[in-house]
Amino acid sequence: MKIWNWNYAFDILPEIISALWVTITATVVGFGLALILGLLWTILIRSDSKIVSSIAGGIVTFVRNTPILVQLFFIFYVFPEFGISLEPFVAGVLGLGLHYSTYLSEVFRSGIESVDPGQWEVATALNFTKRKTWTRIILPQAFPPVLPVIGNYFITMFKETPLLSAITLVEILQTAKNIGAGTFRYTEPFTIVGVLFLVLSYPASLLLRNLENKISEKY
Amino acid sequence: MTEPIVKYNKVTKYFDDLQVLDKIDFEIQQGEKVALIGPSGSGKTTFARLLMTLEEITDGTIEVEGEYLWHEKNEKGELSPASTEHLRKVRSNVGMVFQHFHLFPHMTVLENIIEAPITVKGKKKKEATKQGKEILDKVGLLDKADVYPAQLSGGQKQRVAIARALVMEPKVLIFDEPTSALDPELVGEVLEVIKDIADQGETSMLLITHEMDFAKEVADRIAFFDDGKIVEDGAPSEILYNPKSTRLKEFLERFMNTQTP
Repeated sequence: MKIWNWNYAFDILPEIISALWVTITATVVGFGLALILGLLWTILIRSDSKIVSSIAGGIVTFVRNTPILVQLFFIFYVFPEFGISLEPFVAGVLGLGLHYSTYLSEVFRSGIESVDPGQWEVATALNFTKRKTWTRIILPQAFPPVLPVIGNYFITMFKETPLLSAITLVEILQTAKNIGAGTFRYTEPFTIVGVLFLVLSYPASLLLRNLENKISEKY
Repeated sequence: MTEPIVKYNKVTKYFDDLQVLDKIDFEIQQGEKVALIGPSGSGKTTFARLLMTLEEITDGTIEVEGEYLWHEKNEKGELSPASTEHLRKVRSNVGMVFQHFHLFPHMTVLENIIEAPITVKGKKKKEATKQGKEILDKVGLLDKADVYPAQLSGGQKQRVAIARALVMEPKVLIFDEPTSALDPELVGEVLEVIKDIADQGETSMLLITHEMDFAKEVADRIAFFDDGKIVEDGAPSEILYNPKSTRLKEFLERFMNTQTP
């Protein structure tokens, strides 16, 4: 038996690639959720109300310091006991989004703190509402410098999606595993999975570096 | 006599245990230009920042156009802290030009100027642009409309900042050491713009400055701050050439000594 069988590899390739769709949507939706939640945490932590601020801060610390796999198991296996049964995809996206939102919250915080405090004062002097100060003045300045870091988290999250196979989501790794289980040949499917991740992650990281250079030129 | 446009009544300000303003009474009349002078740490900047609502008042009241800035009257006529809406409404009469300009770096010069009229006052973009260009022309920077602030000199930045404050049509305009952050050769162009505004008359001005000659030229009145109090308050010629208190005398002496080359 050969170690690597090209015919077999090409036979299973379409099936694995079709599962890539699940991986990509889970990443995109999960990251979208992480961005929204992350921004929400940041704003809540900065709230004038001590209670709101410490609750949000507590959630972020808790989520960031517990393993994502435990969180995924909790959402998928424990929530049903409280009457919340979620599809593997939904549970997975929720878990990824929640976990990464705590990292992104930290990134947003540093971006916001990098904005000159004078910008808040001039917004007051020009009589901006709090909301407009955020949307028109602060966030547009806070985002660009941290965009590369946000992009890095996106790539990291993409590479962590195989975790979702642990809560029975048939994404790319689970598909490869199923194929292997049926044929007892694991080399090709797992290699293909690795290569596919590489093929997508590497150009993305190059793009990011490019973006980073462009931003540092501007600032 | 008409009502004063700004009225401080026993205004006191503490930063924690440190008292920076001590029961100050003060008025600015319609169209009046008042310069504030005094050593750093004397409270003059805090005094102005209270009017812009950048610092919270500890005690006393400030009225702008006959309305309390930091307070609201309830049905029983008692004063309670102002709601955000009330604060915004009264604050809209006041504008401020900062020492370090604080232009919006992510917007062009013209965008800097039309942002607040559109976002805060709800003006149409077309109308705001027309008005913005007129004001830019007034400060002599129409040719820089589409440039980003990073490409401007300090003097140009400050002129844009002045235009940005002016376009909101404040009744009172605060200048907080508008030329202190500028290279000496750029001070003149900014002072000229401020003088133009002063000459037009309608806007009241509160000018914190170390430029005594300029204060004399522009201001109707000069108030001398020391140690959280207004020690002397009067016509520029009186304050600068006929100081009564020893503290003002000392201040002016020290000042002249450091200013003469």
